[in-house]
Amino acid sequence: MERLIIVVAVLPLVSALLIQLFAGRIGRSIARVSVAITTLSFLLSALLLSWALIGHSPQTLPLGNTTTIFLFDPLSTLLATIILGISLIVHLYSVRYMAEEAAYGQFFVLLDLMTAALLFMVIAGDLITLIIAWYLVGVILYFLLGQDTRSQTAYRFAFWTLITYRIGDLPLILAAALLYNAYGTWSLTTIFTEIMANPDAHQFLGLPLTEVVAALIGLAAFARSAQFLLHTWLPYTMDGPTPVSALMHAGIVNAGGFLINRFAPVFIHSGDVLNGIFVVGLITAVFGSLLMLTQNDIKKALGYSTMGQMGFMIMECGIGAFSLAIYHMFAHGVFKGTMFLSAGSVINDARHDDGIPKDELYTFAVEKRPNAASQPWLLMAAITLSVPLVILVFAHLLIAEDYFQKQGAVVLLFFGWVTGAQLIFATYRMRSQNIWRLVGLSVLSLVVVVLGYVVISHAFDLFLYPDPAFRAQLYAAATIDLLRFDVLVVITTLIIVSGWILTYYAEQNGYRRRQQTKRLWLNFYALISREFYISDIYTRLSRTILSISGRLNVWLRWL
Amino acid sequence: MTGIIIILLTGVFLPLFPMSMIFNAIVDNIKHPWLRVLLFAVWPLIGLLIVYNSKVVIPDWLMPMALTTSALYALRMLSLREVTQWSGFLATSLWSLLWLAVMHDTPVGLLYSYAISMSTPLVLLVLLSAGLEQRFGAAYTGLYGGLARTIPRFTGILVTVVVAAIATPLFPTFFIMLDMIVETISATPLAAMALLLIWLLWSWAGARLIQGLIVGRASNVKILDMEITTISLYALILLMLIIGGIYLSGVIL
Repeated sequence: MERLIIVVAVLPLVSALLIQLFAGRIGRSIARVSVAITTLSFLLSALLLSWALIGHSPQTLPLGNTTTIFLFDPLSTLLATIILGISLIVHLYSVRYMAEEAAYGQFFVLLDLMTAALLFMVIAGDLITLIIAWYLVGVILYFLLGQDTRSQTAYRFAFWTLITYRIGDLPLILAAALLYNAYGTWSLTTIFTEIMANPDAHQFLGLPLTEVVAALIGLAAFARSAQFLLHTWLPYTMDGPTPVSALMHAGIVNAGGFLINRFAPVFIHSGDVLNGIFVVGLITAVFGSLLMLTQNDIKKALGYSTMGQMGFMIMECGIGAFSLAIYHMFAHGVFKGTMFLSAGSVINDARHDDGIPKDELYTFAVEKRPNAASQPWLLMAAITLSVPLVILVFAHLLIAEDYFQKQGAVVLLFFGWVTGAQLIFATYRMRSQNIWRLVGLSVLSLVVVVLGYVVISHAFDLFLYPDPAFRAQLYAAATIDLLRFDVLVVITTLIIVSGWILTYYAEQNGYRRRQQTKRLWLNFYALISREFYISDIYTRLSRTILSISGRLNVWLRWL
Repeated sequence: MTGIIIILLTGVFLPLFPMSMIFNAIVDNIKHPWLRVLLFAVWPLIGLLIVYNSKVVIPDWLMPMALTTSALYALRMLSLREVTQWSGFLATSLWSLLWLAVMHDTPVGLLYSYAISMSTPLVLLVLLSAGLEQRFGAAYTGLYGGLARTIPRFTGILVTVVVAAIATPLFPTFFIMLDMIVETISATPLAAMALLLIWLLWSWAGARLIQGLIVGRASNVKILDMEITTISLYALILLMLIIGGIYLSGVIL
């Protein structure tokens, strides 16, 4: 039964082959073959997921006498189902959406190949299969994004994606080579077993091998999940077909979170690396969200929104909440996929009627004109700060009493509190006939979201990492010195609260700024609108390299 | 002294800069496609033949020299626009890495299979370049573009061959590169880093070549696309390369 997971991954390959061979004869109805096979593969993966859910233990599935191994485990079955679910939706959407395209059959071949590569990536039980699938995802994505071969822009940005992905391949290959040299096997299960038994058995350049490998895996994940400085490809790849954008933002970009989860046994011995991952994720989340707010192009804003979400996902890994990252990946995948696939209809509808009621929500959210509140300020501030905290603490107490002893959980609570408070703060600033009803509704929605999030994430935790000792080790690895932690929490709280107070006073003064502050603010806005000049720097760098290449050729007479 | 002379002589065939310029000068001057094919097919084999028959001791300084040659040509590929010249530079960059395999005491038979695996996509690329010259009068990137719309079947094969040549999975060169990195990472991590950098440059150059040829609007002039039998032949060779790659992975990894 477990071997069916190999069939699940092979089916899209069969579909791609059938389309390639028979597209010329059958014509456009060949897409139905692709949809049918993807549906079958999805159903099989769902069956396997239910098999894993009812408690069938993980298994390694070697392919004959080769080094190729596949894994049947909670992570592989869950992700295979998610990938196939998203892929199936994208397939169904593409049947009509891509109907006018000249290379219709070729699109479905590439889509099936991409699905297969992603599936092989998540079920890979050896380093070679993992590297091959990881590498091929980048190559296939390049051609999918360049589906419109008339568009130079599409190819330009598809190339950005390709080169970032290739940069991300390098650390993974290095990590694999180091692990193979140290343990003499490509099998992930064997390597992880040996690492768990003796984590400090090997060193590389005087450093513990586990730390070096964890850092390399982290780098590979950063490139794939568009972390800060390796993110420029994500918001710019909007010239590709919409179904590809949906697949990319809902599935492919999450690969970083998967990779970190797959190498969890390495990360529990690499606390410093986890802390580094947290910082990178945090920076990405902040920068992604900041850049999203300044975009006036809906798809680019969605791109930066994905970057911010990927930052959160990586940050969750950094605090040891590995399974939460997988849940985040799933939740974000579903909602972002829906947004991309509806973007076309929204734009089309908006051409006829924007459909936005010009009420207080509109003036607040779109025109950025908050209304003065009519309720006592202190009372509202108390509600803003206390209600989310009470909800979060209560929700987590329901799940596990010892939850607050884990530093990672405290970080999550902190974020939940800040965002929850932000929600109520925003509600409070809206003018309404019945402010208490509005606040009540926002509190209720917060309760539902928090409870849902906490319960589901806990369920993911139990499913993906059933061993409580292993879960505890993950959180323990991400722990930092208590004093430093407390100082960081206090500083962050102060920054956020100062932001709120500043906003409050700015409102009170009717947004009047002094000349100097105004200039500073404009410079800051210019910096953001140029996206911190990061892509400009990369463009300049690549032009310099090309110029060096050209000069060398001239000096050496093209020989 | 004799050893150095032999190495310098071998450096013409298993390219070492500046002896590598000889091969590229010959490629530049031979105009007949089948002669070019012959050149690409046998050149590294001659080098391996000399190394093994002379039983020369390979000095340590050869590794940085081979890596520098490979990196130099990989970098120079980025600004090339002529397809045959591009193939020549990629050949130089690939074959110079065979020195590393020689230094790691790779069995002779396996080394020859490395050389053949590296050369086969290049041979196909040279033939495709001749096909472009025949159709358009020149095989330059960015000159006409839009091949994907003008001659889609030819483009499909061209893209796959380029992808095979730049060490993409599941083609043999991918596994050869992986093996070389595994062999070098512990003793000489810098060499492994250099190999990865070279690999990255190939991808960059490959993408530039593909983009320069296939992207753009279709030509208004009717151009003859590749025949089905020819496509089948190319596809068969590429399939054999993939099977060879998978087989090679079982042997070397």
